[in-house]
Amino acid sequence: MTAAVWIQLGASLAAVLFIAWLVRAMGLGADPRIEDAAHAIRLADEAEAGFGGVEVARDRAGFAAIVRNAEGRMLLIRAHGNHFAARPVDASVIGRLDKDFLTLTTRERTFGAVTLQLGKEASVWASRMREVVRG
Amino acid sequence: MDNLPDPVVYAVPAFILLLIVEMIVSLRRDKRRYEARDTLTSLMLGTVSQVAGALVGAAVVGAALWAYQFRLFDIGMELQTWWWAWILCFVLDDLAYYVFHRSAHRVRWFWASHVIHHSSQHYNLSTALRQTWTGFFSLSFLFRMPLFLIGFPPAMVFFCAGLNLIYQFWIHTEAIGRMPKWFEAVMNTPSHHRVHHGVNPRYLDANYAGVFIIWDKLLGSFVPERDDEPVRYGIVKQLGSFNILWAAFHEWVGIAKDVWNAPWQHKLSYMWREPGWSHDGSRMTSDMIKARWMAGRRVEEAAE
Repeated sequence: MTAAVWIQLGASLAAVLFIAWLVRAMGLGADPRIEDAAHAIRLADEAEAGFGGVEVARDRAGFAAIVRNAEGRMLLIRAHGNHFAARPVDASVIGRLDKDFLTLTTRERTFGAVTLQLGKEASVWASRMREVVRG
Repeated sequence: MDNLPDPVVYAVPAFILLLIVEMIVSLRRDKRRYEARDTLTSLMLGTVSQVAGALVGAAVVGAALWAYQFRLFDIGMELQTWWWAWILCFVLDDLAYYVFHRSAHRVRWFWASHVIHHSSQHYNLSTALRQTWTGFFSLSFLFRMPLFLIGFPPAMVFFCAGLNLIYQFWIHTEAIGRMPKWFEAVMNTPSHHRVHHGVNPRYLDANYAGVFIIWDKLLGSFVPERDDEPVRYGIVKQLGSFNILWAAFHEWVGIAKDVWNAPWQHKLSYMWREPGWSHDGSRMTSDMIKARWMAGRRVEEAAE
């Protein structure tokens, strides 16, 4: 590659970093939270049309939630940037209970592990996860 | 091949300026339209896309010149004589783009390359720059081959393609509501293209146009934006990550895993069938999502 190409590439990278910095410096963005059970059910329906959630375990801070439908299927929803992303809670998801906290680790490394503070409900949902694993 | 400048290079300063203007508008109207990590991901994907394009540029030009030697007509480049050919080339290149774009959403092999562009849950001007790294590998350049075979000089086609790309930049915004009616009727607009980026079942697989929305209206893929249903952006299975390598390659990884694990008779189908297809019906295609949504609506309407 010629020097001109390297300069062009360097200038592009500098512009990219500048704009990303500017977005942060201007205070753009949001801190999305799952407000309540109804919100979690709506997010589950958006993630999977017709999911039909009937029961919700919502993280105390609203960062994440588990939504269960009438068939017993579960969706894990967590904040991602200004929005939310969801994954099914199936047999491949590893659950770890630690008192009031339930940590779910999906097979997808880029999705990461999600820890929900659920209070006394944590053990109830942990046992539901075990039911899923048992099939 | 005749030398013409790449119009996209000259448009870059305007892209940056408009991005900053849109950010200021977002600051006043809705701060959620931008997110720093999302913008960084989009722009990094765009920068690497340029590098990837430059690396394979010679091969794409070579393929174009090879096809051009079998041309049906001799079409010149000189504007005063061949002005009509320039217009025709621009229109036909836009039709070729429509065919490519529709295939890119309906054939998983092409989708694996195009999905990068849809992987943001935001819809702003930085999303426009979130472009593929693997377009050459997915053979997307083949869709323009008919133009060379007709006889449009490669330099003319690539110039028109550059103008097409520039046009598509400004329509990636929520800052503009609707354009005048006559414009919305003929041209692709922010409103039409918002629908294209939507994951609401109603909006899935619609509005593939580049410049002229008439292709969608003629070929049955047009869906208007509704004020009572705001568009949710992204992909059916949201990435949930700002990792640029994952954004660029996740669908290719998915294809590789599926082909590896599938029974022999279904291996090819995981490449050429629509995204979401599975041999055991365990996943949802966009058609299945729409059908389920429609069924749900019918039940709701019956209950009312």
